[in-house]
Amino acid sequence: MPRWGMAADLDRCTGCGGCVVACHAENNISTVGDDQASRGRAKHWIRVERYYEGEFPDVRVKFRPVMCQQCDNAPCEPVCPTYASHHTDDGLNAQVYNRCIGTRYCANACPYNVRFFDFFNPSWEKPLHLQLNPDVSLREVGVMEKCTFCVQRIKSAQIGAKAGQREVRDGEIQPACVQGCPSKALVFGDLEDPESEVSRLSRSPRGTKLLEDLGTKPKVAYLARVSQT
Amino acid sequence: MDRRSFIKLTAITGSTAALTACGNPEHQLIRFVPDEDIVPGQAVWKPGVCPLCSAGCGLTVRVMDADADVVVDGQAGVKRIAAAKKLEGLPDHPVNRGALCPRGQAAIQVTYHPDRITQPLKRTGNRGTGQYEAISWDDAVVELVGRLDMLAGAGNQRMLAMLTRRTSGHRGALLEQFAARFGAPAPVVYELFGDEVLRRANAMSYGRAQLPTFDLANSRYVLNFGSDLLGTWNSPVAHSRAYGEMRQGRPGVRGTFVQVETRMSQTGANADEWVAIRPGTEGALALGIAQVIGGKHPDYTPDAVQKLTGVDARRVERLARGFEATRPAVAIVGGAPLAHTNGLFTALAVNTLNSLVGSVGQPGGVFFTPQLNRAAASNAGGGFTLQDIGNAHVLLVDGANPVFTAPAAWRVRESLEKVPYIVSVGSFLDETSALADLILPDHSFLETWSESLPESGSLAAVAGVAPAVMRPLHRTRATGDVLLDVGRRLATPVNLPWQTFDEMLAATFTGLPSAAPDVDTWSDAQTKGMWTGTLPAGLASGASPQTPAAAGAAAFAAPQFDGDPGQYPFHFLPYPSSKFLDGSLAHLPWLQEMPDPLTSGMWSSWVEINPATMQKLGIAEGDVVEVASAHGTVRSAAVVNPGIAPDTVAMPVGQGHTSFTRFASGRGENPVTLLAPVTEATTGALAWAATRVRVSRAGPADGRLVMFAGGLREHVEHER
Amino acid sequence: MAVCLATYGTVAGCRLYQPAERPAPQLLPGQTADVFTTARPSLAAAVNDFLGRLPEGEQPIEFPHNTHVKMNIACSTCHEGVETGPVAGLPSVRTCMICHEAIATDRPRIQQITAMRDKGLDLNWVRVYGYVREAHVKFNHAPHIRAKVECATCHGNIGEQTIAQRNVDLNMGFCVNCHRENDAPVDCLTCHF
Repeated sequence: MPRWGMAADLDRCTGCGGCVVACHAENNISTVGDDQASRGRAKHWIRVERYYEGEFPDVRVKFRPVMCQQCDNAPCEPVCPTYASHHTDDGLNAQVYNRCIGTRYCANACPYNVRFFDFFNPSWEKPLHLQLNPDVSLREVGVMEKCTFCVQRIKSAQIGAKAGQREVRDGEIQPACVQGCPSKALVFGDLEDPESEVSRLSRSPRGTKLLEDLGTKPKVAYLARVSQT
Repeated sequence: MDRRSFIKLTAITGSTAALTACGNPEHQLIRFVPDEDIVPGQAVWKPGVCPLCSAGCGLTVRVMDADADVVVDGQAGVKRIAAAKKLEGLPDHPVNRGALCPRGQAAIQVTYHPDRITQPLKRTGNRGTGQYEAISWDDAVVELVGRLDMLAGAGNQRMLAMLTRRTSGHRGALLEQFAARFGAPAPVVYELFGDEVLRRANAMSYGRAQLPTFDLANSRYVLNFGSDLLGTWNSPVAHSRAYGEMRQGRPGVRGTFVQVETRMSQTGANADEWVAIRPGTEGALALGIAQVIGGKHPDYTPDAVQKLTGVDARRVERLARGFEATRPAVAIVGGAPLAHTNGLFTALAVNTLNSLVGSVGQPGGVFFTPQLNRAAASNAGGGFTLQDIGNAHVLLVDGANPVFTAPAAWRVRESLEKVPYIVSVGSFLDETSALADLILPDHSFLETWSESLPESGSLAAVAGVAPAVMRPLHRTRATGDVLLDVGRRLATPVNLPWQTFDEMLAATFTGLPSAAPDVDTWSDAQTKGMWTGTLPAGLASGASPQTPAAAGAAAFAAPQFDGDPGQYPFHFLPYPSSKFLDGSLAHLPWLQEMPDPLTSGMWSSWVEINPATMQKLGIAEGDVVEVASAHGTVRSAAVVNPGIAPDTVAMPVGQGHTSFTRFASGRGENPVTLLAPVTEATTGALAWAATRVRVSRAGPADGRLVMFAGGLREHVEHER
Repeated sequence: MAVCLATYGTVAGCRLYQPAERPAPQLLPGQTADVFTTARPSLAAAVNDFLGRLPEGEQPIEFPHNTHVKMNIACSTCHEGVETGPVAGLPSVRTCMICHEAIATDRPRIQQITAMRDKGLDLNWVRVYGYVREAHVKFNHAPHIRAKVECATCHGNIGEQTIAQRNVDLNMGFCVNCHRENDAPVDCLTCHF
C-alpha cells in the first residue's frame, strides 16, 4: 500500500503562482469574485505564502507553497461529526462531499488554513463551464473542499498500471501543481518506497515539516532555502 | 428510523405535488449531431502553442467531450464537442520543458471567455460606446475590401496603417508582407514593456538585435540588474526551469543569485543578495564592477559608484570579486533599468560585464537562440508611429491595445478617433477595439493554427506549430486566412504566395532540416507541436555573437526624470503584473483571483509604499492614497512593501480597464495614465520608469482592495 | 413534524441557494448571459437529486437492445469507451448510421433516425443508469470490465429488453456488497472524489 506524500524544495520555488492557477484549472475550483473574495471566501487549494524579513534595504523574502499537508494525525478528522473528513489506507486525507454537512469544524481545527467552504453554489459564466474537468466533482453550496493531491490523477494512474499489470512508476503521478511547476520545486510520490524521489528529498537534511510540533505528522516535506549570505 | 428514510419521509410528505411536475429541462433540449466522432470520457492530448507572450512555450492540451450550447439556424440546443480541458507544458519543448507559468495555465480561459466576440460586428453607436450590430462574414469582408479598394483607387495605399503587438511568429510576417504588397508602410509594433532598448544594445554589443538566452542551469553566479526574469520578463518559464537547476540541480554546487533593483520584484525575492539602487543608475554600478575586475573604467571607482548609485563602495567591491571569482558568471539586464532616459547606456554597461568574465556563448553564460532567416518585406518607407497614426485613412488593429498601454500624454485615443476607418481582429472589446468600425474576430489559439518562432529561451533553434485543437466555438475566422482572402478580392489583388495561413507555415517548416531522411518535417512538427534542431547556415539569420569590447560603453549620463523633485518627491515605478503583464490578461478570472506573489492582492489595484514612508505620510495599509504626476492622478489603496525604496512608489500595471470584459472593466486603476512621455534618449522607447509623482492620503480604506492574506478583511467587514 | 420540516428546509433549501449575483454584463450580438451553476433549477429537482431519482423521460426512439444483442453486437460497439475509460458513451446518431446507412433502411425507425440525421439532429438519449451530480460518484467502467464483471451484473437483462429499463438499483449498498465480496476497496475515496 503506497503512502502518498510531497516534497517542496524552497530553494527552487520562485513564488510564481503557476501551481495556484494549475490547481484551479484541474480541480474545478470556481472563482468567487471581488466581493466574496474580500470576505475571505476565495478558494485556493494551494497558495504561495510570502514572508518578508528585515527592513529596507536589507530585506529578504521567503516563499512557501502551502496545500493540504495530508497529515497522518490530522486535526480535521476527529472533529468531523459525519466522517466526511477521514483517512484512507494510502494516507490521504479524504474529504467526502456526500457526507459533508458543512459544520466547518474541520476548517477551524486545521492549523494550516487549507480548507475552504462553498458559501454559494459555484457558477461559471457560459461557456467557461466547457473547461470543467469531468474527472473531478463539482462541489455545491454547503460543503468543505480542499487539496486532494489530485486523487483523480492517482486513481487514473493506478487503474492504468493495473491494466498494464505493473506497479505505478515513481514520477508517473503528477498532481497538477507538480506537473506545471516551472522550477520543478514540487515532487510527488510514494513515501513507502525508499527509492522514490519524494522519499529521497524528504530525508534531506534541509527537510522540515510545517508546524510539525503540533503533532500533526504532515506528509509534505519542505526543503529549506539555502542561505548563503 | 434511520437518517435516510427519515429524510425520504419528510421529502415525500412535503413535496408530492412538486415532484409530479419534475423534469430535468436538459431532456427537452434539442441535440445536434456532433461534427466528429468523439469517444466520451476519454482524454486525448494534442499539441499547441501558448499565445500569451512572445516566449512561445509549447503546450499539450487535454481534450475531452463536452456538451456545448449552440444555436443552429436560430434553434438553440446542445452539441457534443471535443473541448480543450487543461493546458500543460509540452514535455520536450526546449523552452518550457513541460512547465507553464500561471498565465499559460489560464490561457484556456481565453477560448471559453463569456465575453468573447462571437461574430463579425459593425459599429452602430458612437465610437467607444460599444454599440455594434451583427454582420455576416461575407458582408464584412466585402466592406473591408471596399475600403481598401477606395484607398488604392485614390493612390493612397500608404494611408493603410497596421497596429500590432510583438509576436514571435508568422502572423507578424504575414501582416508585413500584406502591407508591403499593398503598398503600405510596415506595421506599427507597440508594447508598453517592449525590449527595444536591449535589442539595440545587443546589436551593438554582440551583433544580434535579439533578446538573450541564459544558460542559468550551468551558471554559478548570476548578477541580475532589475529584470523580472523569473516572473514576467523575456522567457520566464525557461528561466525558472534553469533557475531550479542552478540552485539544486548539481550535486554540491549551488549557484549564487544577486539582484539589483529599486523595488523587490518576485525575482528579486529569490536572490541571495538583494542590492537596492537608485533608479536609473544600474549602468554605473555595472561599470563600477567592471572597474574593480578589469580596471578599464577609471571614472567608476567604488567610491564614485557609491555616490552615483547609493550602493556602498565595499559592497561594489565584494560583488565584483564574487562575480569575477565564481565562474561561470553571467550578468543580466532588463525591465525597469532600461526604461530610463539612459537605458541604452545601462544595457551596454551590463553587456561589458559578460565579456569581462568571458561568458558570451560559453556554458553558464549568454547565448542567442538561432533565428530563422526570413525574407524582409519591402514596405513603403516613412511608416507611421504611434503618435502620428491618426493620419492613417484605414487602420487594422491586431492585438495591440495602446489606448490602454500608452501614456495619456501621447493622446493615442484622440489620435485613433481621427482615423476614418478602424478594423480590429480582436477577440475582446478592449479600449482600442472599442474604437473599431468593423470587428472581424479571430479564432482563439486552440481553434486554429498556433505557432511561434521563439526569440529566446532555448539554446537550439526552435519553431512551434500545431493545428487546431478543437473546432471553433463561435462564428469567428482565422485572421491569417481572412487577410489572404481580402488580398485576393481587391481590385488590384495582393497576391501572396499562399492561399491559406497554414500554407505559409508549411512553406517554412518544409524547408527546415529533417531529423531523419524519411521524416517529413512539416507533418512531424505538427504531430510533435514543434521543430527543433540545427539551422544550416543558409537558413539562420544574423552573425554569430561577438564578444563585446570591454571598454565599449559610453559614459554615464544621469537619468532624467519628469517632474520637479520638490513638487513630485517620489519615483514612480509601474511594473508588469505577474498576473496580467501589460494588462492584456486582466480579462481572465483565474488570474484576477490569483493572489499576487508579493502582496496577495486579488481583483484590485494598489500602490506599494515603503513602511517608513507610510508612517511619515500618515498612511495606513488599505487607506486610499492619491498618486499624482504632472500628467495624471490615480487613487488607489496603499499596501506596505518593505522591499521598496522610501523614495519610490510602485503600482502593478494591468487593472484600470474601462472596456475589457465583465471581469476587468471598471476595476482598479491604470498607472500608465500617470506616465510622462519621456523616452530613452537613443532608441526613442518609452522610459516608463522615469516619471516622478507625489503621494498623499486621500481617505480611509474603501473596501476595493482585496487581499488573500487577509488582515484588512475584518476591518472592511466592520465598516460595511 | 416541525422537526421534519426544519430538516427538509435545511436539506433542500440550502442546496437551492443561488450563486452570488454579479451585475449583468453589456452583451454584444451573439453573446449570452447564461450561467452554469450547481444550483438546482427547482425545489423538485433538488429533492429528486437528493433521493437519487433520475428524471423520467421518453427515449428519442424505441431502441431495441434485444435485436442488437441477438446479432452479437458487442455493447462497446455503441457504448464507446466503456472498455477503455470511465464512461459508457451514449451513441450519437453518427454511430447508428455506420451500420444503418445500409442495413434495415426500410424500417420506419431507421428512416426516422436517418431523417433526423439529415436535419442535423442527434438522438437525445435519456440516461437510464448513472448518478446525479450530487452523488459525487466517479464510477469507472474499464477496471470493472477488466475484473470480468458482467455487464448484466449492474445492468440486468438489458439484452432481452427493448427500451432500456432500470431494473437493478445501483445504490451504494449494491456497490459495496460486491466490492466486499471481491476484496475490492471500500474506502469512500474509491468512488467519491
